[in-house]
Amino acid sequence: MSAADELARLTADPCVVADNVAMKYQVISTEEQTEVPRFGWKILQRFTPRPNTVTVHALNRLSLVVRRGESVGIIGRNGSGKSTLMKLVSGQVRPTGGAIHASSTPIMLGVNAALVPELSGDQNVVLGCLAMGLSRDEIDARFDEIVEVSGLEKSIHLPMKSYSSGMGSRLRFAIAACGNPEILLVDEALNTGDAQFAARSKRRMDELREKAGCVLLVSHSLDTIKDMTGRVVWLDKGDLIMDGNPKDVTKKYMEFTNHLARGNNISAHGLRADVMASLEVANVVNQRGGDRSFTAAG
Amino acid sequence: MTEITAELPKPAVVRDVPVDLSKLSRVGARPPFLDYLVQLWDFRQFIYYDARARVQSGTRRDKLGSAWLILNPVFNGMTYFLVFGLLLKTSKGIPNFISYLVIGIFMFQITSGAIVSGARSMQQNKALVQGFSFPRAALPIGVNVRELLANIPLIIAMLLIILVVPPVEPISWRWLLLVPVLALQFIFNLGIGLILARIISRVNDVTHLLPFTLRLLMYMSAVFYSLDRFSNHPTIYWLMQANPMFLIIDITRDAVMYGVTPSWHSWAMLSAWASIALIVGMLFFWKAEESYVRG
Ligand SMILES: Nc1ncnc2c1ncn2[C@@H]1O[C@H](COP(=O)(O)OP(=O)(O)OP(=O)(O)O)[C@@H](O)[C@H]1O
Ligand SMILES: [Mg+2]
Repeated sequence: MSAADELARLTADPCVVADNVAMKYQVISTEEQTEVPRFGWKILQRFTPRPNTVTVHALNRLSLVVRRGESVGIIGRNGSGKSTLMKLVSGQVRPTGGAIHASSTPIMLGVNAALVPELSGDQNVVLGCLAMGLSRDEIDARFDEIVEVSGLEKSIHLPMKSYSSGMGSRLRFAIAACGNPEILLVDEALNTGDAQFAARSKRRMDELREKAGCVLLVSHSLDTIKDMTGRVVWLDKGDLIMDGNPKDVTKKYMEFTNHLARGNNISAHGLRADVMASLEVANVVNQRGGDRSFTAAG
Repeated sequence: MTEITAELPKPAVVRDVPVDLSKLSRVGARPPFLDYLVQLWDFRQFIYYDARARVQSGTRRDKLGSAWLILNPVFNGMTYFLVFGLLLKTSKGIPNFISYLVIGIFMFQITSGAIVSGARSMQQNKALVQGFSFPRAALPIGVNVRELLANIPLIIAMLLIILVVPPVEPISWRWLLLVPVLALQFIFNLGIGLILARIISRVNDVTHLLPFTLRLLMYMSAVFYSLDRFSNHPTIYWLMQANPMFLIIDITRDAVMYGVTPSWHSWAMLSAWASIALIVGMLFFWKAEESYVRG
């Protein structure tokens, strides 16, 4: 196979393209300001509408191309920007820089406790599927299959606020999977499930990938990541550190966290810098055809 | 913990990745207005299911269940009858004060309930908004449909009270005029709800102002006094007659109580209010489509 063919295969069919995306949040901090204000001024400050806002750089400029049939794991410490990346890809939050392009609407499977807590599990199934754009007939036809995938049996008729966290994530997974999404985003939603659920969800995700979709999976369990993905991305403090096959990346990440756990901050950061220095950064180039995305006015 | 803030190392290679963005579309992009309306139409089943499921579960926590939908305005009416009818005697010159008051309160309750729930619809459905990417206006519309369904027993109760409490008003074909009134009222509530939903999703403080504004609206809508009080003040009289809430109540009283056909002038004014509210509300809500989910 020639190099040109290889390139053509690689460029074929991207599912998700993150083009230089960045995300900052403006939040209110309770941290003491360095200069201590005078007494009277301090009282005044209590009543001012905006105390001490700080900017959190949740994600620094980052480009990523995910192709059809790929399933990508995302790892990193707490607060490294994994959930932020997922929210950006799913379109929940608008990036403060760059843009996300996708071949179809991504479906996000998150950890939020319930869809509509007062409604029962089966009502939530119907509502969730309607929200994904399925029609009532399709849902009726597939309802039993969804209940089967969720494995909830009789509890499906109870209000969702009475579910345990594992039951909730079973139901959410079943709903998300029934839409046959081309792009499925999973943010730690599988962690609370038991072994049976893990096997079931892995099977369902493999099916989805075979239908030429792609899966992005965030998890703190490196075993889950190694089990379910074919490529792993390591984020730290909003930076992309490493992008490669699961074995190498998880190995480096384990080394890094082991250093940190032993209090070896210097060697940990040395390792992080080394890894980052050998990173191949992607630069997204629009190959042909105009940018079809609508740039919103205003 | 000692923080090491070294310069970030430069990456080894910057590799150009050619991708054909023309096959992809930007995530979360706001569609053009007409496409948006078409999308909303495609989600009609979602809107209706959302509305119906919530009517059923809405009052399940209370022992008396859906009876509260009617008891609430009835108690409200009794309070106002006591204060304004018996103590302050604003009922002077109003022949059938109980029916007069009941129509005012029930119709006002429909609008205030719908506006408040419409305004809060984006906040109260965070999980749905975060989970799925349907056109967001489906939620305020769903809430308004829910209010409409929940208000059917309320309307029936209102008509029963008018029929039972003396002096009894006769049933006439004009009672059918309630249907267009309710339709216009629905459109008006929806428009205002859409506007408020966007404002509140950005500036939550407005929720605190909402009850005061609604109370002011009620006091200005001749719920428990007659507009004739202001017949010597042409400006106030004219302003009150332009008030959409007053128009709704007045048209209903004409049709149901007084047995006269409401003037075309009132209909025109109310239709103008409703359509302007809906068009402005839709456009205003759609403009911010990309920013309804935050954290
Ligand atoms: N809504 C928000 N407002 C302000 N800051 C936020 C918000 N969401 C996330 N952040 C900040 O962005 C950074 C990344 O957060 P994110 O939730 O993406 O981390 P994470 O990698 O998912 O962590 P975890 O492993 O704990 O789930 C954190 O510093 C966090 O404080
Ligand atoms: Mg997270």
